[in-house]
Amino acid sequence: MAVPVAQMFTVTKYVLTQKLTGVKRYPLVLMLEPLFRCNLACAGCGKIQYPDHVLDKRLTPEQCWAAAEECGAPIVSIPGGEPLIHPDMPAIVQGLVARKKYVYLCTNAILLERKLDEYRPSPYLTFSIHMDGLQEEHDLAVCRDGIYDVAVKAIKAALKRGFRVTTNTTLFDDAAPERVRKFFDAMMELGVEGMMISPGYSYDKAPDKKNFLKRQRTRELFSRILHRPNSGWRFNQSPLFLDFLMGKVDYQCTPWGNPTYNVFGWQKPCYLLQDGYVATFRELMDQTEWDSYGTGRNEKCADCMVHCGYEASAVDDTFGSLRGFGRTVVATLMPTAR
Amino acid sequence: MEIAFDYRGDVTLELVSGETVRGYIFNRNSAASPPALQIFPIGQPSSRVIPYADVMAITFTGEDTASGKSWETWVQKKESERKAEAEQIKAEAQARGHL
Repeated sequence: MAVPVAQMFTVTKYVLTQKLTGVKRYPLVLMLEPLFRCNLACAGCGKIQYPDHVLDKRLTPEQCWAAAEECGAPIVSIPGGEPLIHPDMPAIVQGLVARKKYVYLCTNAILLERKLDEYRPSPYLTFSIHMDGLQEEHDLAVCRDGIYDVAVKAIKAALKRGFRVTTNTTLFDDAAPERVRKFFDAMMELGVEGMMISPGYSYDKAPDKKNFLKRQRTRELFSRILHRPNSGWRFNQSPLFLDFLMGKVDYQCTPWGNPTYNVFGWQKPCYLLQDGYVATFRELMDQTEWDSYGTGRNEKCADCMVHCGYEASAVDDTFGSLRGFGRTVVATLMPTAR
Repeated sequence: MEIAFDYRGDVTLELVSGETVRGYIFNRNSAASPPALQIFPIGQPSSRVIPYADVMAITFTGEDTASGKSWETWVQKKESERKAEAEQIKAEAQARGHL
C-alpha cells in the first residue's frame, strides 16, 4: 500500500469524526507555505512571482505550529518556494511531528542530500520530491539541466537513510502518456513509497467552449496514462481522485479541504487562487463565499482539476456513502482493472 | 484598487496625509468597514493596513515579476536564450547561498 496503515487509520478516524459530528466543511491537508523564495525558477510558477522583499519573508516555527493547531488537519503539506531554504525548517518539521501531524515536505531535492543530517526519519515525515517526468521532461519543466539527476541521487540517499519518500508530479496537456508511464516505472524502481500526480493549473480567460475542451483533454490524457496501470505503481492518493482525473466520476471542488497559510495569512479561497487573506483559520472558514467558487461557478475554476481541490472531494466521497466506500475498496484492491 | 492588488510588483501609494508608502499590496477588503488594503512596506518587518479613503494615488513603480514568465513564453524562446536565462537565475541563487 502507498500509505502506511497507521496514517490511513488516522485520516479515517478524523474524517469519520467530522461526519459523525455533523461538520460540513473540514480541512484535510494544511498547505503550509513558510516562504516563497526558491532556488529554481520554473516557468509559469506563480508562487515565486513577488518582489525580493516579499521573497525574503519567512514564517516563524511558532507561526507554523500555531497554524497547524488552529486548522486541525491531520496532514500538513509544506510547499513553497523551496522549503529547505528556510533556516528553521528542521525545527518547523520537528514541532509538527511532535504534534503528530503527517508532514509532506515538498522539495525539488537540490538541497536535500546536504540537509538530510538535520532531520530524523519518522513515520510522520515524508520528503515529497518534485519530479515532473523523466530526465528530459523534468529538466525542461524546471528550466535547468541536471536537476533530474540531482533529485534521483537525493531520493536514493534519503531512502537509504530510512526516510519516507514520495514524488509529486504535475502534468500538462502536452505530456506524452507512454513517457509518463515509463516515468512511473522509473520512480517505482527507485523505491519511492508512492507517487502523487495532478494536472497543472492555468487560469485562462478563454470562452467556455475552450475551457470545456481543456478539461476534456485533461481527462483523455489521464485516461491514457492510467488505463491498465502497471501492478507495481503505487499512488499516495485516493483511487477515486484518479478516477476523477480519468473522467470516470465527477466532483465539485472542495477548496476548504486544503486550506493555505503563508506569510500573507490564510488564503481565500484555495491554494491556487489568491482572492484575499484573513488573519485566522476561523475567519477563512466563516468569511469565504465558498459557493462562488468551483466548476460552473467561477471562470477561474472552469478547467481546474488539481488535487488541492479535488482530492478532498474524493476522500469525502469514500466516507460519504457505502457506494463511495465500496468503489474505493474495489479500486484499491483491483487497480489494474481500470 | 483591484488592479493594484493583482499586480505582482511593488507600488507607490501617495496618501492624503502627504506620506508616501512603497511596497507590495497583498490584500484588500472592499467590504470591510472602512474598506482597506494591506501592504508590506519595503524595509518594514510588518504589514500595514491603509483605508482606501487615505489613498490619493497609486503608481506601479516596481517591476512586474510575472511579466514574461509564463510557460508559453518560456517554450517559445530560443534554446540559447533559455540557457542564458537559466544560468543567470542559477548564479543569483548561488550568490544567495541557496544552491
